[in-house]
Amino acid sequence: MEVIFVISSLVCVLGTVILITQRNAVYALLGLLIAFFGSAGVFLSLNAPFIAVAQILIYAGALAVMFLFVLMFTDTRTRLDRLGLPGAVGARPNWKRAFDPKAVEKAMKFNPLDHILLPQPLAAVIAVAFLLCSSFAIYKLPAAYNEFKPLPDGYDSILFTSGAGAGRLMKYGGTEAVSKTIFEGFPLAFEVVSLLIFAAVLGAVLLARRHLAGIPGTQDVVQPESSESSH
Amino acid sequence: MLEPKTVLFLAAVLFSAGMYGVLSRRNMIMILMSLELMLNAVNISLVTYSRHWAGQGAGLMGSHSGQFFTLMVMAVAAAEVGIGLAIIVAIYRRTQTADADSAAELKN
Repeated sequence: MEVIFVISSLVCVLGTVILITQRNAVYALLGLLIAFFGSAGVFLSLNAPFIAVAQILIYAGALAVMFLFVLMFTDTRTRLDRLGLPGAVGARPNWKRAFDPKAVEKAMKFNPLDHILLPQPLAAVIAVAFLLCSSFAIYKLPAAYNEFKPLPDGYDSILFTSGAGAGRLMKYGGTEAVSKTIFEGFPLAFEVVSLLIFAAVLGAVLLARRHLAGIPGTQDVVQPESSESSH
Repeated sequence: MLEPKTVLFLAAVLFSAGMYGVLSRRNMIMILMSLELMLNAVNISLVTYSRHWAGQGAGLMGSHSGQFFTLMVMAVAAAEVGIGLAIIVAIYRRTQTADADSAAELKN
């Protein structure tokens, strides 16, 4: 358990670091994927195998592909990038440097700092303040949180069989237990979520459609950019 | 020994990292991705509480309700990403950029 947790939480943090530092959006998405796989491992170590598999299927499978789709057909440069301001990804070429072979050779060398976002001080301050506050709250939790309570009666751990000769025990967090919870405990919420997803699908299709007759917002608009970048 | 506090701290770290991503990025797609990370951190803490207090509730409703709630969060997150990406595509079609500032005004 502990080994799984340690490894997968490290993977999770690694993916998170990739996500928030990489300038290239596709690399950042890769970091998000790594973080999702890591947190699936965390779920596994917390005796939630069904959630872990659902995490991989939904997040790492469906959501990542959807993100990749939209990333691939939008231009992920910002407006500053396109104006060629210094520090932007597609900055305007410096012609004096471009004709100096030594400088070109120097510029062509791989510099990892080119691929990493500059830290944003205000955002970092807010996030670190939040982290400090929440870790203080976690530190102040009562002693009941120092150790996991044992699994409830009638359940068996998914990874290790606890009791000797434990014949017919439901796996805690397994498919059987979770589906019983859904369909015996909360059937109404389950149905409401199906309605929600239906509405979301309808809305997404409607929003992403192009050339709706008579609705001006759905036509393609190509902005004349030449006037901005010519001078 | 695995402690609930350790897992909750991991969730807090992930949540703050996602918060940093949301606050620092300008690209709307990157903001959505960081938002997913924040939701994921919340899921981890929900599963932790579910595992910790599993024996205290009555029957199935008590022992697995946190995991059920995590599934609900996943469904809502999937719906949210679908709608969000559709909105980003619609904005991109109008402004030719995925910069968050381009959506600062809803009119036109």
